[in-house]
Amino acid sequence: MTPVDIRMEVRSEPRLLQSIRSLVRCYVSDRGFSRDKTDEVVLAVDEACTNAIRHAYQGDKDKALHLHIHTNSSWMEFQLIDEGKTAPADRVQPKSAEVIDAEAMTPGGLGMALIYQVFDEVAFSPGSPAGNIITMRLRLPTPTEETT
Amino acid sequence: MALELNLTEQHGEHVIVASGEVDLYSSPALRDAILKAVPKTAGKVAVDLRAVVYMDSSGVATLVEGLKAAGAKQKTFVLLAPSHAVMKVLQLSRLDSVFTIVEAL
Repeated sequence: MTPVDIRMEVRSEPRLLQSIRSLVRCYVSDRGFSRDKTDEVVLAVDEACTNAIRHAYQGDKDKALHLHIHTNSSWMEFQLIDEGKTAPADRVQPKSAEVIDAEAMTPGGLGMALIYQVFDEVAFSPGSPAGNIITMRLRLPTPTEETT
Repeated sequence: MALELNLTEQHGEHVIVASGEVDLYSSPALRDAILKAVPKTAGKVAVDLRAVVYMDSSGVATLVEGLKAAGAKQKTFVLLAPSHAVMKVLQLSRLDSVFTIVEAL
């Protein structure tokens, strides 16, 4: 198993989201992703954290978000773990384009739709013994892809 | 980067100039500014987004709420010169066509 590059715990305070974004931006841009793709990944990880704060922790600022980041030869992986309220099953299913459109106007639904659009693989383990775990994977850019 | 909001009024039109980042932390301030401007304006509320360097879904939801609030009072709600970051999240959300987007008032 590839060792985890970053394992951090951040308090569930919305003000700290910008610090998480700065770190994610730095990590992703260092791995050859385009500026646009980097922006998307920063957004999607931020959405996962926002959902954990809003829904799992229901706005409690004194809980912990655990973010693990690592990269192997073909994938970059972000794993976010919270110990809050179990996410309802209908929030965590892969979404079709039609469902994304229908849910886009509801708070929370839009964030999940963005996560599914940005990452190549998303796995959710709501209410596992460790808490809600969302694992988001991205294929690494091939050497032929332009970095802009 | 913190969110800064500046409110101006010209010929009865209210313009909210936002700069910085709009996320879960800062979007309530933008929401307040928009929802206060809607009943005051003679006809139009514009949110100037040219200097917004980051926006997440809570920012998008705030703009949708502004659009709905303005519509309910027969007022016009426009996004003024959205930055690349704002356009990107609106397009990813498939909500870019919902808004009236203008480059100048």
